[in-house]
Amino acid sequence: MNNTRIGLLLAAALGLLSASALAQEQANENAETDAAAEGESGDAAAGEDVGQDNTEAAEAEAPAEGAKGEEPGSAAEGGADQGGLSDICKIDPAACPTVDFDKEARKPLGEQIYAVEQIYALRVRRFELNPYWTFSLNDQFISHPGPGLAINYYLTNVFAVGVNGNYYRWFNIDSQFNGDVRRATRLGVPLNEYDWGAALNFTYVPAYGKYAGFGDFIFQYDAYVVGGVGFLSTRPIPVFDPVYRNFAYKPKLAFNAGLGLRVFFYRWLAAIMEVRDYVYNEQLEALEVAPTQDERQNKSTWMGSKKLTHAVHAQLGVSIFLPTSFDYRLPK
Amino acid sequence: MGTTITMKKSATLRHLVTALVAGFTLLTIAQSVQAQEILVTGPLAGAPAVRKLRLYREGRLELAPSVSFTILDEYQRTILIGAKLNYNLTDWLAIGGWGAFGAIRISTALTDHIQDVVDSRACGANPTDLNCRLTATNLGSDFPSQVGRIAWVVAPQLTVVPFRGKIAIFESLYVDSDLHFFAGPAFVGLKERANCSIGECPTNFRLASRSTIAPTFGIGLSFFTHAWGAVAADWRALPFSRNTGGFDTAGSGPDQAFPDNQISDADRQFRFNQLLTVSYSIFLPFENRVSE
Repeated sequence: MNNTRIGLLLAAALGLLSASALAQEQANENAETDAAAEGESGDAAAGEDVGQDNTEAAEAEAPAEGAKGEEPGSAAEGGADQGGLSDICKIDPAACPTVDFDKEARKPLGEQIYAVEQIYALRVRRFELNPYWTFSLNDQFISHPGPGLAINYYLTNVFAVGVNGNYYRWFNIDSQFNGDVRRATRLGVPLNEYDWGAALNFTYVPAYGKYAGFGDFIFQYDAYVVGGVGFLSTRPIPVFDPVYRNFAYKPKLAFNAGLGLRVFFYRWLAAIMEVRDYVYNEQLEALEVAPTQDERQNKSTWMGSKKLTHAVHAQLGVSIFLPTSFDYRLPK
Repeated sequence: MGTTITMKKSATLRHLVTALVAGFTLLTIAQSVQAQEILVTGPLAGAPAVRKLRLYREGRLELAPSVSFTILDEYQRTILIGAKLNYNLTDWLAIGGWGAFGAIRISTALTDHIQDVVDSRACGANPTDLNCRLTATNLGSDFPSQVGRIAWVVAPQLTVVPFRGKIAIFESLYVDSDLHFFAGPAFVGLKERANCSIGECPTNFRLASRSTIAPTFGIGLSFFTHAWGAVAADWRALPFSRNTGGFDTAGSGPDQAFPDNQISDADRQFRFNQLLTVSYSIFLPFENRVSE
């Protein structure tokens, strides 16, 4: 039981220690800070940036402290540093600093100031995991939406190599426009649907920056270009002779190039908007139907011409950078 | 004896741990009670996110010659030449308008394909051909001339500029930039196939002018090249119903969803028309202000 009391007393003592560290008088702190600020700048306007109440507190207390400012340790007379120097001079006049601070302050620093001093999210040696939703922009007849995933590894802060894959099979949509045109013109347009796509990509980030939102918060973004090569698996939809024709998906060599924008929420999480053009040689269905049943069943009569196709897709998603944290090489 | 000492030590340790746990629980509660909102003090208290901001817009007139391109068109792309005129009430709000007229028209591949088919059918010489009879209402001999087109647009609009910042290009070129949104009503002048009645349509493929009011809205980026100038790229939506192909697609049957062999208002279909605009903004007066 005695031990219990000792334990409680020990805990209470720890609590008090902690509480005393936490508890601070707000007004005094403000006054000291403001007084120090005024002392450093000598400009009354400096106090105007502080909240009104705090400013008044500072104005009320600063002269009072200034009156006793001759005493060592007074913050109002120029801050704690000056008081500390006075102490040194009293204790050991030989060690008293002889630096002329005004002269030192006038020396040109020659410091190089960068427009963007520290990049918010470093990409170098990080993986980027990018799940997204893609949808086609320039195919009025069949839409090709679907989920996708990209994985990139940044070899440098601006250059990455990676892969991406899209899945379309369940999501191809025959548009109303397709039916309207066919009915109005009695015109068959060869149609194709997608199964999947995969590519090896190279990403370059030439631009980055930051925006202040509503003059209140700041967010970071970057813009990138991406290009690569891979495969797009497609097949014709039987339009001209659907009774006999049935096509299997076949992968085609596809090149891609795109532009993207990444808006960072955290150093490891960003939203992605991207437009990418997949260029491939599409195999179209034959426009002519063979005259006999035997010929109609002959698969060699089903295929028509090939057409260089630009499948422009928009991609919306998120980017997750791994590892989630990183160290800057230089201090801020 | 040794066992008794061990048990006592064990009990002591248990009590001590219990007391410490209880104490730290109380301590935790006490800390949560003591927690206060952290008040930023000192010179930065209440300071804006950006100081010495170049106010490119506030109190300035903005005149921006522009070129706009319709995108995702089915039958015809239009290039519109125009201009934007804004007065920037503040750095984040402007009132003004955008106007443009369709200067250049380019047929899409689909239009060319349809025209090829029309030529191959030669319906003028074979009027009894099945395809010719079934498409007599919809296809004339010169398909590109019957497709609908945007003739002009005048759009009074409000522009809001909530995001303002800078962009570094190749880590060597730094440009001030802003992201703006705009919205307003648009007055749109159109040319599309004139209404015609049953029996009249196969011989009447002329276009008629009409105007409509539609909402318009969009988003854009400005890149300030000078204190007085900026390059801007805008995406604009202009959704309204129109008959883009000059086809009879509706007017009879359930929900009037089937052709009725005449061209009427029912054949207009909703289109989410979109444009990309590139412009160069000139700000007057030439000098911009700077915030505190």
